[in-house]
Amino acid sequence: MKGRWVLLVAMFAVGLVFVAPMVLMVLTSFKPEAEVLNPESAIPRHWTLQNYLDVLSWSEEAPFVRWLLNSILISSSVTFLVLVLASLAAFGITRVRVPGGGAFFYLVVASMMVPGMLFLVPVYYILNALHLLDTPAALILPASAGGFGVFLLTQFMRSLPRAIEEAALIDGCSWLGVYYHVTLPLCSPAMATLGVLTFIGSWNDFVSPLVYLDSIQNYTLPVGIALYQASYYTEYGRTLATSAMATAPLLLIFALFQKQIVESMSSTGLKD
Amino acid sequence: MSAPRLRGLLGWGYLMPYASLFGLFVLVPIGVAAYLAVMQFDLTSPGSAGFVGLRNFADAWNDEYVRRAFAVTAKFAAMMVPSLVVVAFSLAVGLNAMPRGRNLVRAMVFLPTMFTVAVTGILWQWFYNLEFGLFNFVLKNLGLAPVPWLSDKNIAMPSIVLMSLWWTSGGTAVILLAGLQNIPRMFHEAAALDGADGWRGFWSVTFPLLRPVVLFVIVTNLIGAFQFFPQAQLLTGGGPELATRGVVQYIYETAFNGYRLGYAAAMSWMLAAVVAVFGFLQFWLMRKEAS
Repeated sequence: MKGRWVLLVAMFAVGLVFVAPMVLMVLTSFKPEAEVLNPESAIPRHWTLQNYLDVLSWSEEAPFVRWLLNSILISSSVTFLVLVLASLAAFGITRVRVPGGGAFFYLVVASMMVPGMLFLVPVYYILNALHLLDTPAALILPASAGGFGVFLLTQFMRSLPRAIEEAALIDGCSWLGVYYHVTLPLCSPAMATLGVLTFIGSWNDFVSPLVYLDSIQNYTLPVGIALYQASYYTEYGRTLATSAMATAPLLLIFALFQKQIVESMSSTGLKD
Repeated sequence: MSAPRLRGLLGWGYLMPYASLFGLFVLVPIGVAAYLAVMQFDLTSPGSAGFVGLRNFADAWNDEYVRRAFAVTAKFAAMMVPSLVVVAFSLAVGLNAMPRGRNLVRAMVFLPTMFTVAVTGILWQWFYNLEFGLFNFVLKNLGLAPVPWLSDKNIAMPSIVLMSLWWTSGGTAVILLAGLQNIPRMFHEAAALDGADGWRGFWSVTFPLLRPVVLFVIVTNLIGAFQFFPQAQLLTGGGPELATRGVVQYIYETAFNGYRLGYAAAMSWMLAAVVAVFGFLQFWLMRKEAS
């Protein structure tokens, strides 16, 4: 039994190693600039909000609030679009059972095998042709076209019994009514998982905004702070305050949806 | 037209919103990628576009920088994937054996996967800083010489791998842990009855049963590792002396700094071909496991 307790303490220590960088980030962001470069004490001697106030005060070179709003707008739009479009498509495939729906599903699944970086150059070319480069749409539309949502919801709907929906149809409910009043509520666990994963993926995306956006005003948080760090790279206090604020929404989501996030991650290796 | 048929066609109304985006941003790009790869296409002088057949591929094949970039990407994959599997596996086995507190520690090791790569890069650049970084501060206090974590061409890549391990091994550990917990208890009990416990039980019972999950983890991370780019872009910019510039970064620079879209598209296909080999390998191995 003693070995088990040694293991418990050891694993907890390992856990701390994983959390430590984040704790250091938050603690250091409350240090005055003079103290940041002196790591003698991890805990600030003089706590200050100055870094946060500096970052939040709008500036031409690093409009943090603007980036934050861009990120919120883009990630929410992607999440909303994915949930609506994917659930409608999955409903068409599994419930209305449109001709060719099954073939379309296989096409979508096959497209998920294509490595993402192959799309980088051609999507840039298409966005350029549509005059969408350097707009929020350049990040929202391509991200909503991914196959994962359709795959997830189609699989989930196939596992649900159709009896309730058939009863609703017999009672004179329209297909659209069935979708909205019956299927969507039944799918809420899968929709929650899909929504959370989509939001996190969009919020953390680094390469697409780097490639498809051009003006500082239009950046999302990840690209904005990376740019800020590259130009003011010794101002660690402010950079870390920015990083902490960019990470806070995700930590909140993680705290609220830990079960869905960890479970969806767990199940990826347990297919078939 | 019969009523069910009409209904079926109207039913495409449910698919159309998604299908139109899918067509425009998934199917059309694959076609455009093929078109660009056989064109000399320079965005700075659009009039100069012309069909060049396979010349982009031939040029890339002979481009010394393409070879170096492939070597860098392969090096990252060769260092990252085995160490990731070892670290994540150790974490999963440790978590699985914990008498209590498992969910708390699992959440702790999983936390870094929630970070955007940009914040991860900023944090670790700070740790790795030559003069006032955390690591060299610790080394100095131990009376050791500072290490040029990111500015030495032999150390930069291991430094990137270390950061990537912090960032992703918790997520992989969670997958492996689920695999461990999926093994029915009776297998362990039967093994213990036969006198195979501890390490022997692990290697003769647990590991073979876990093999499909381990294979899945290896192949998906191999595919991920071959798309190596943001970590280097953030930490080293591909340096020093291009020692950390992988294929995707070279594609990025060719397409979006040099605006040579045709050449970049050809390189993308070459990398996609390599990744596809791993994809087929995964498919084949899964098939073999299943039969």
